[in-house]
Amino acid sequence: MSYEDYLSGEPVIVTAALTGGVHGKEANPNLPETPEEIGRAAAAVEAAGASVVHLHAREPNGERSFATERFQAIDDEVRRRADDVIVQHSTGGTAAPNADRHLPLRTDPPPEMASLDMGPLNRYDHLTSENTRALVDSLHEEMRDRGIKPELEVFNDGHLNEVHGLLERRDLVEPVYATLIFGGGTLTRPRPRNLFNAVSNLPEGAKFNTLGFGPHQLPFATLAVLLGGHVRVGLEDNVYYRKGELAESNAQLVERVVRVAEELGREVATPAQTREILGL
Amino acid sequence: MGCPYLEYRRESGDLAFDRERAYCTAADRFVQPMRADICNDRYDLVHSDHCEIYREHAVGATEPADSAEEADE
Repeated sequence: MSYEDYLSGEPVIVTAALTGGVHGKEANPNLPETPEEIGRAAAAVEAAGASVVHLHAREPNGERSFATERFQAIDDEVRRRADDVIVQHSTGGTAAPNADRHLPLRTDPPPEMASLDMGPLNRYDHLTSENTRALVDSLHEEMRDRGIKPELEVFNDGHLNEVHGLLERRDLVEPVYATLIFGGGTLTRPRPRNLFNAVSNLPEGAKFNTLGFGPHQLPFATLAVLLGGHVRVGLEDNVYYRKGELAESNAQLVERVVRVAEELGREVATPAQTREILGL
Repeated sequence: MGCPYLEYRRESGDLAFDRERAYCTAADRFVQPMRADICNDRYDLVHSDHCEIYREHAVGATEPADSAEEADE
């Protein structure tokens, strides 16, 4: 994908990362955590223009959960409240056992999409998400068996190598869909030139999604719109609307990026268009 | 056994929640959900090894870190 794709006018897929697993209501009281809150948020972002919701699960007290049952409860609420939004489960989980990382794939029905982290990343002083190749292959195998589209999460340039390696080891269903992620720590440094570089190093024919953490969310979404890519926003990645002002909701962040895309000439994809673009 | 500085509270300052949430009394703030795994020594995490807040507080306290860990056992 490239600037030429922007000029050709392919609709932009907006993914809303509603809740995440790192921070919670202590960071922004508007962040949804319970199945009902997440279901309401999914309906609101769909109405605002998002066609994919990226979901993590929580325990009743807000702490992380990887349990299939918790994801099932969320999915039931999402499907009850939203019209046609595409459900994407996270399989990420810093320090979580590999067996637990498979649990989000086992809901009934399975999610249409699931994230697949492409390699290791650090958080704080002692928390590492290893994401060994063996785990990546194992998660991909289960996704393949259950008809789940992998969203390849690329946190740094080394993970781009892993995307190419995965394609050599495994037969991925086309089109390959990679999310290019920018931020601090072991992520690629959030600078526009690094996005251009990452896009140029993607496998031929791959489609990309982009997210920047914190204050980089809006500029990187805007850059992705101009480069013919797709965008992810939401309270998982950024709890602020602007500096010093907490976001009111996930929908508020989606509404803003939809305005940006439309002003820049990109139509926003419906769930049906997204399924067509991604081959779901 | 989890971190001795961990408490579950519903409110602190301007923040109030429907259910009790992990609170770090060493840092005087609510704990991020992911970090609560360290506080509770879940998976292979151990608060005395993996929480920089615990370690800093234990070193800065009058009790040496080793004593604090023993008191936790």
